[in-house]
Amino acid sequence: MKKIYLTLILVCTNLQAQINIYSHRHYDSDKILFKKFTDQTGIKINVIKGSADQLIERLISEGGNSPADILFTVDAGRLHRAKVAGILQPIESKILRENIPPSMRDEDDYWFGLTVRARVLVYSKERVTPDQLSTYEDLANRKWRGKIAVRSSSNIYNQSLMASIIASNGSRKALSWAKSIRKNMARAPRGSDRDQARAVAAGLADVAIMNTYYLGILANSPDAKDREVFKKVSVFFPNQNDRGTHINVSGAGITKSSKNKKDAIKFLEFLSGSDSQKTFGSVNYEYPIKIEANQSELLNSWGPFKYDKLNLSVLGANNAEAVKLFDKAGWE
Amino acid sequence: MSELLKVHNISKTFRRNQVHALKNVSFECDKQDVISVVGASGSGKSTLLRIIAGLEIPNEGEIILEDNKINSSEVFLSPEKRNCSLVFQDFALFPNMSVRENIFFGKNASKNKPMIEELIEFTRIKNLLNRYPHEISGGQQQRVALVRALSINPSLLLLDEPLSQLDNELKHQVRNELIHLIKKVGATVLMVSHDIEDAMYMANKVLILNDGVVDQIDLPSKIFNLPSSSYVARLFGKTNILPFNDFSYIKHHFFDKDRNEEVVSVRPHEFKLNHSNPSSKNPEIKGKVLSINAIGAFYEILIDTGKFELLVHIDKVNQIKTADDLSLYIDKK
Amino acid sequence: MDISALKSQKPLQILRQELLFKLNGWTILSLIVGLIIFFPIGEVLLSINSQSENWSHLKETVLLSYLLNTIILVVGTAFFSLIFGVLPAWIISNYQFKFRKILEWILVLPLAIPTYISAYAYFDVLELFNPLLIWVRNNINNDLMQFINNVLVYMVTILVMSSVLYPYIYLLARSAFVNQGAKLRDAASTLGYGEKSIFWKIALPMARPALIAGVSLVVMETLNDYGAVKHFGVPTFTSGIFRTWLGMGDLVGALQLSAVLIIFIFALLLIEKQIRSRSKYHDTLHSKPNSKKMVFGKKGSLAAIICCLIPLILGFVVPVIRLISWAWISRNKAGTIISMEMVSNSLLLSLISSVSIVSIAVLLAFTARYFKSSIINLSNRLATLGYSIPGAVIAIGILLIVAQINAWLNIALTGSLFLLIFAFIVRYLTVAWQPINAAIETNCDSLNHASKTLGSSAYTSLTSVNLPLIKSTLISAGLLVFIDVVKELPLTLILRPFNFETLSTATFDLSSQAQIIESSLPALCMIGIVLIPLGYLNYRLENIK
Repeated sequence: MKKIYLTLILVCTNLQAQINIYSHRHYDSDKILFKKFTDQTGIKINVIKGSADQLIERLISEGGNSPADILFTVDAGRLHRAKVAGILQPIESKILRENIPPSMRDEDDYWFGLTVRARVLVYSKERVTPDQLSTYEDLANRKWRGKIAVRSSSNIYNQSLMASIIASNGSRKALSWAKSIRKNMARAPRGSDRDQARAVAAGLADVAIMNTYYLGILANSPDAKDREVFKKVSVFFPNQNDRGTHINVSGAGITKSSKNKKDAIKFLEFLSGSDSQKTFGSVNYEYPIKIEANQSELLNSWGPFKYDKLNLSVLGANNAEAVKLFDKAGWE
Repeated sequence: MSELLKVHNISKTFRRNQVHALKNVSFECDKQDVISVVGASGSGKSTLLRIIAGLEIPNEGEIILEDNKINSSEVFLSPEKRNCSLVFQDFALFPNMSVRENIFFGKNASKNKPMIEELIEFTRIKNLLNRYPHEISGGQQQRVALVRALSINPSLLLLDEPLSQLDNELKHQVRNELIHLIKKVGATVLMVSHDIEDAMYMANKVLILNDGVVDQIDLPSKIFNLPSSSYVARLFGKTNILPFNDFSYIKHHFFDKDRNEEVVSVRPHEFKLNHSNPSSKNPEIKGKVLSINAIGAFYEILIDTGKFELLVHIDKVNQIKTADDLSLYIDKK
Repeated sequence: MDISALKSQKPLQILRQELLFKLNGWTILSLIVGLIIFFPIGEVLLSINSQSENWSHLKETVLLSYLLNTIILVVGTAFFSLIFGVLPAWIISNYQFKFRKILEWILVLPLAIPTYISAYAYFDVLELFNPLLIWVRNNINNDLMQFINNVLVYMVTILVMSSVLYPYIYLLARSAFVNQGAKLRDAASTLGYGEKSIFWKIALPMARPALIAGVSLVVMETLNDYGAVKHFGVPTFTSGIFRTWLGMGDLVGALQLSAVLIIFIFALLLIEKQIRSRSKYHDTLHSKPNSKKMVFGKKGSLAAIICCLIPLILGFVVPVIRLISWAWISRNKAGTIISMEMVSNSLLLSLISSVSIVSIAVLLAFTARYFKSSIINLSNRLATLGYSIPGAVIAIGILLIVAQINAWLNIALTGSLFLLIFAFIVRYLTVAWQPINAAIETNCDSLNHASKTLGSSAYTSLTSVNLPLIKSTLISAGLLVFIDVVKELPLTLILRPFNFETLSTATFDLSSQAQIIESSLPALCMIGIVLIPLGYLNYRLENIK
């Protein structure tokens, strides 16, 4: 009971130095880093976790009175949406500019990427050799008929991938690509990224489109069956000979209504620092924002790769178009 | 104005059905009158009572109680502000309260304590005061409900089918008790009943309601002898409704809406066998016996005269058989 | 008589009487409360008029498939829930066999498990069919495999949903069968009807109103579900609403889809009401409850037990065992995952919501019945629509309204517990209102008349007649709400205050971040909490019989 009152009071007043975060992330790495930050600075951190979309709607609804200082999401598309919705503000910070490559932050400094995930091809060690694989576009080839596993197009990662393909190839080609992929699917899309790896391991599909992050989860799952899945598959980074593998960032921006802007900036700078970046990689199987500086054992085992340098704002800008193309292609 | 209650042109319809509706009902009620509203179920008699109590709002019409307009198109006095109380068909005793709590529940009931004590004494429920409604008999519940209704000293007492919940034997006893009690407190009573016999016993005026319309309002004896419609005539049991044209020697006649002609009502026992009383002046009626049934002390015979089928009650049927020809006359002026 | 001469009461006249004679503190307060509760739903409905730029796109591409998928899911779930619910209810109310008593009780247990948790517990069940699918692909062709796969997806989704939703039907069917009375059965058997024909020709048609009521609850729950359909990849209306709102960033389009869904639901409700009012004569039989039971032999007993066990195993035993085994794997994390605060948040939130919802339900039901006010009756109907509308849609409506209030009063209403509780009131008012309204109708209506004619005020009538008489209903209604709020997910997720974790949000957070195994800990806690009031309710139901 007391705690609830306390929460209410905290929301209403701002006596102690503190920042309020709306976060889509639910990771142990974040808990560790939040605590570390509070220990170092004495600034308390309050969090509401929820899906980024709903948090954005909530921010819009709260308008200038929102108590939130930071919006933390797991993809750039939504950050772009938040920027367009006018709930973020530009940040002036040398440290952030230095720590974060230009394609991974907003061109007007409304938001900043903090960790990276790559959307890769995961294939069966038994049935596929790496030389059969090349690009995302190649998956549309007839030879993959009934062999591809990928999740629903309602998922933001697929929408972002589609957005990058629209940016690179144009809407018309993107649509025919999506149509072909739908035809080549081993089954109607369902489940999470991990379930795609499971389908490959089970022999239902030969190649899955999924995020590196989820492979890390499988590799370190408490469930032996999951670790078995991980052993049966391997990672391929597509499009190494052209634009590079599609990546997405988990990132954050400072809200327009922020009442603790200074502390909030300090916090983002803290997260972009090399210590924090190491924590993300080791606890959460995410690439650091400077991918080359990656130190996680698992991620290193997949080797270095070339990534798509497309400015990630484009993912947000193309998102609605991507969803419409999915609808037209019949990719559920 | 000398009337205690004046009901003027009350109409009420319900959204979904025509049953229980009222149409242009008007009547008056003097102080210490006991008026009984009689009608079949669905005739609207309970609705009338509830409108007077304030539990329903009529579409049209006026009600005046003790010179106060309690209902009109502009006025609606809510039930708790009307000085009348209602005894419900199912008594509506509060199951969560003892008999005493029930009786003293009414507003200002505690101010009338001596009067209530006397009523409790009179109705012999003193030893039940600490019991709960489900622990006492139907007749006792009836008395508690009555005392409770009288506890607020109403100027008008409304009774909704006061005897319908009781079995036959108890009914006669309670009926007498009720008459006594009403006389004792000098209450003005408006009661509703589907049983004409109860009404005849207790009321000094009877109001017949038929499909929401007042058919007749009169003294009990007149209602029986001089019915104003076939409906009223039938309320008192089996009767033969015959065209006035063929029986013009019978004085009391009335108009039948369904047949669209003037008719007379002849009760089965008003027929006599011709040979038993040759002094009668009424013409002879001849007919063939269709069926004979023994019903207790008399026989019920169905006779076909060629023009009508007559229902006849006769004490002795020594030699009569089915298909016999009979000669009858009507013993009535 | 001449019926046309009777002027039937016109709406205008009713309105005039309402305004002239029935306006008082109670009705005004109830009207305001009712309208405030209806506001978020009304906001969504209003949007049907606006035109989303994407509407024609939606109509051309996905609308039809959303509709079809939703219908398949709803019909399938209703069908299996009927089988899972009616058969055990019939056996248990008519036969005597070993373990009958305990089965009668435990058959309601799946009510403790939200559909999204059951779906997690079955997350990999489809993988069992992989060998079959692969065989079909390799030996027949890919198209057939795709077809089989689709059928399997729907079957599993439908079975998972119906195995946790059937108790709604089971409970209502059981009491319908028991109340049908032995007389009728006896009459039927003297007419030469066997057991089978008694069931099909008499018992089942007579129980129809109860079954339809149960099915409509199942349908509402199916439409409300977002987690399970998302998990199994069945694109329904509810998931389409999210996709349009969030994926296309088109709130208007999402609202329009919601409005279509709401109209679809209202059409179903209307049909239900029609059917139910036509079969009202069923209720007029006042024969004694059927207490005589036929005794099964050994074989019969075994068959009966199996019949009852199948839905129970699917809906409760398997998911719970699964969760327990996962909880065992992650037991050393229990301390960090579950906190006392989380548990007390869940309990307190549910408790406060139950009390407020029951109080409001009493106010609204009592006022409408006591003053016979058609206006309040109407506003009550509007205020109790929330249960038939997916929680996520209600959340959109609330956010829209709050945005206006925020801008207007210059405050931030979101993030306060007050708003969250208001959202629960919008969604769950019916759960309390239905039984309370029915209890006042059967127990208090005529007594209120007596109370009025004895000169007491509405307040006195409420406190000394109505409340004491419906006490037990108030408790059951409160517990029903409590169970629903503990399990509730979408509203809590969107509207909760800072640092506010409940058992359901923790379960969702963990499972949505690929930690399904760890999510078993808060999920089990939640199921445990729900089991207590559920057990009590069931015990009371038995005793009423």
